[in-house]
Amino acid sequence: MQDVEGGAAEMLHVFFRKLLGFLPNFFTALILLFVGVGLAKVLGLISLRVFRALNVDRFWDRAGIREVLIRGGIRKPLSVELSRIVYWLTVLIFIVIALNALQIPVIEAVLARFFLYLPNVFVALLILFAGYLLCNFFARAALIGLVNSGVREAGLAARAVRFAIFVFAVTMALEQLDIGKASVLIAFTIMFGGAVLAFAIALGLGGQHYVREYLERRMRKGSKDDVHHIDHV
Amino acid sequence: MVKTVVLREEVQRKIEEIGHADIVVGIPSYNNAGTIGHVVRAVQAGLVEYFPEARSVIVNSDGGSRDGTMDMVNTAAAGDFRTILVSNRMEPVFRIATPYNGMPGKGSAFRTILEIADALGASACAVVDADLRSITPEWMELFLKPALADFDYVAPLYQRHKYDGTITNSIVYPLTRALYGKQVRQPIGGDFGFSARMARFYLSKGVWDSDVARFGVDVWMTTTAVANGFRICQAFLGAKIHDPKDPGTDLSSMLYQVVGATFDLMETYEETWKSIAGSEKVSTFGFPRDASPAPVRVNVRGMIELFRLGASELADLWQTFLGQEIVSFLARLAAAKEADFRVPDDVWTEIVYRFAVAAHADLINREHLLKSLTPLYMGRTASFVLETAESDISEVERKIEDLCRIFERKKPFLLKTWDSAAEQRR
Repeated sequence: MQDVEGGAAEMLHVFFRKLLGFLPNFFTALILLFVGVGLAKVLGLISLRVFRALNVDRFWDRAGIREVLIRGGIRKPLSVELSRIVYWLTVLIFIVIALNALQIPVIEAVLARFFLYLPNVFVALLILFAGYLLCNFFARAALIGLVNSGVREAGLAARAVRFAIFVFAVTMALEQLDIGKASVLIAFTIMFGGAVLAFAIALGLGGQHYVREYLERRMRKGSKDDVHHIDHV
Repeated sequence: MVKTVVLREEVQRKIEEIGHADIVVGIPSYNNAGTIGHVVRAVQAGLVEYFPEARSVIVNSDGGSRDGTMDMVNTAAAGDFRTILVSNRMEPVFRIATPYNGMPGKGSAFRTILEIADALGASACAVVDADLRSITPEWMELFLKPALADFDYVAPLYQRHKYDGTITNSIVYPLTRALYGKQVRQPIGGDFGFSARMARFYLSKGVWDSDVARFGVDVWMTTTAVANGFRICQAFLGAKIHDPKDPGTDLSSMLYQVVGATFDLMETYEETWKSIAGSEKVSTFGFPRDASPAPVRVNVRGMIELFRLGASELADLWQTFLGQEIVSFLARLAAAKEADFRVPDDVWTEIVYRFAVAAHADLINREHLLKSLTPLYMGRTASFVLETAESDISEVERKIEDLCRIFERKKPFLLKTWDSAAEQRR
């Protein structure tokens, strides 16, 4: 009985000793976290002013990004979104520093792996964001161009352009994340190659007349008719 | 030797050889071997007949033609002048044919002509297109005499088919007239005359490496002259017949260039046009001839179909800057029968003004914005053709005059929306 009591006391003693040893790290981590959140708020405010002074919101509008994101539910101007990113990046950095300050080997190991993988996540997110912007931009360009050419299926073709570019971006992002690298690439290759082949066959069988007519119209130097079409300018 | 980065050495030597000229006539060209000979002969005959004592130079500024355009300029014979000369020719007519340097486009060709005119100390200049079939020697008198007398800029006034020049008639003329207060009927005519003072002013502008060098130089020259208070007049030239344009030329690109250049100039001369209300006539020279322009083929049904396609596919895009009321009207119009298909003047005016404001506010990508105007323009043109099917040219002119008055009357709307767009931008 005395042995048991002695063992428990020893364990408690060790526990309290470890706890006492851990507490300074814990409080250091807590302080770091509070400092980090405070600093993040300050940096967020400063960056907001800097982004507004640089007139990034105008770029946001001109590039057509705002319009795209509004449809996706994001209604704040670019300056606000960028300052939020600065805020959360600062908070994230301080969380990591705080976790490191705890000096727990398991957490340190997980963090090390996480940090090695983080650039991939960041690049993948960038690829997705760029892909999202590009797919909307090119879809709209295609839609306007096809409507002006009188193509009845303009809307469908524009959606196909949007989908194709976004799928391409997702494939690149997954490849960056090392997720199903080979299978994603093969699936994409089959899908893209299949679509091109289908398009070529469809055009060859059903649209050769239109292609010939179009090429002839492009190559012809001018009508020799005495009746001409409207001169718009 | 004349020092300029724009002119080639052989041209600079030629300028030194000529020394001085009173008149310079420029002909910008690109693959116009079929017509430029006629243009050179008409110009030369005009110079010989109307300015026998002036030292004149014909300048062909070429964009790299591969069909022998420049050779045609050098070899075109003026014919037997004895039949047209009133007095003996005193001074020779020199010719310079040179490829221009700089960005490919009519603006760069003009710059070369202006540089040569300036280097030769010319008192008056004229510029005519190389694809003209209807040019006559009288054009030289009409362009150059006012420029040698009291006027700085002579705009052309052509007799055209009632359906020709629809971008001019439905957008550029009403808009520039309402903005700058001068009734210059053909602001993008392509042929015009100007004084030495005007030429120097053009050259002093730092636009020659911008879009003006590529396209939109016609509206730039007219607007620059009008907005800067130069003395403007117009000259009746009769019919304008030129080589048929390439049928593959994309209308939406044409709209993008012409309307885009007009909107750009609204930014440049914002302070000028904001203070102008109404408009006034400008002096007009020449005799209005009753020429009968070539008939044109109009596919109204095709235009309406394109409008309908635009109304169904681009409504969401238009909604962002045209507003709900106009987009609803367009949806109703798309469902209307051909006989009832009308785009009223006030709706069209508001559409053009809202596009101008959207371009000013940078709401969406500029090219997308301007190219999305094409179906609306087609709808408006179809409506105009249906409305004026039985009208003669004078009735059509009255219709265009009515449209211009509405543009002027609705200018306060433009001012209001323009300023609120500027506030949004800030």
